Amino acid sequence: MIGSIPLSDVLLASGALFAIGVAGALLRRNAIQIFLSIELMMNAANLALLGYGAALGTHEGQIVVFFVIAIAAAEASVGLAIFVALFRHTETIDVNKINLLKW
Amino acid sequence: MERLVFDAAALLAMLFAGVMVVSRDPVKSVLALVVSFFALAVCYVMVLSPFIAGLQVIVYAGAILVLFLFVLMLLNVGREQPDGMPRPIQTVLGSLAVFVFAGLLLGMLRASGSKIPLLTDGLDPVEMARPAELARLLFSDYLLHFEAVSVLLLAALVGAFVLARREDAP
Repeated sequence: MIGSIPLSDVLLASGALFAIGVAGALLRRNAIQIFLSIELMMNAANLALLGYGAALGTHEGQIVVFFVIAIAAAEASVGLAIFVALFRHTETIDVNKINLLKW
Repeated sequence: MERLVFDAAALLAMLFAGVMVVSRDPVKSVLALVVSFFALAVCYVMVLSPFIAGLQVIVYAGAILVLFLFVLMLLNVGREQPDGMPRPIQTVLGSLAVFVFAGLLLGMLRASGSKIPLLTDGLDPVEMARPAELARLLFSDYLLHFEAVSVLLLAALVGAFVLARREDAP
């Protein structure tokens, strides 16, 4: 219990959000939308970390989430730069039309 | 009362995450995710992490998603068009993977949620939520990680610059 919130509520919300993110990453063909789904999955993991941290009475959960947010910022900038470079070469960011690595 | 607020915010976050996944228009997708992240920030406040909730709004909803929107506008990416190539095997396998994964994850979390030992007896929620203790930990026990993140951000800055610049530029 965190206040009057049971931990299972937090974990269920986190798991459901993660599953929605997995579905998005598998269903969409636009590379940016796949990337957004990955951001959503990271946030679902953050929610679980904060829930456990609060339930166990430590600050470690918040510290880990702090680093996750910093790394997500770095990842977003590099990922979007890759999409810009890719778009310049192929004029599309549809992942089904990009087959640079296919023989 | 707290539980009600948390559940309502979590449901809102899930709803807009669903809109984000279903929408074919990437701009609509980003805007739905902004709403979802604001609802998640409310959830973070309810699990005693107001500082992280502030970071969520400023860094995630404020900076990262605006960067996404900026790149979408720059590349002028339109709606995802149905490409007229049915992929029955991929569709079936993809849906199956999502359902199996969601079922396993939720079952596992439900099973573990009631069993972990809770140490919250006598814990002061105001003390938990104060960012001062967070800063003390960050600059003592986690100083090495903090410095590593600063190097990582520098590497990402240089990497993004190299990747996105034109090849004919000096």
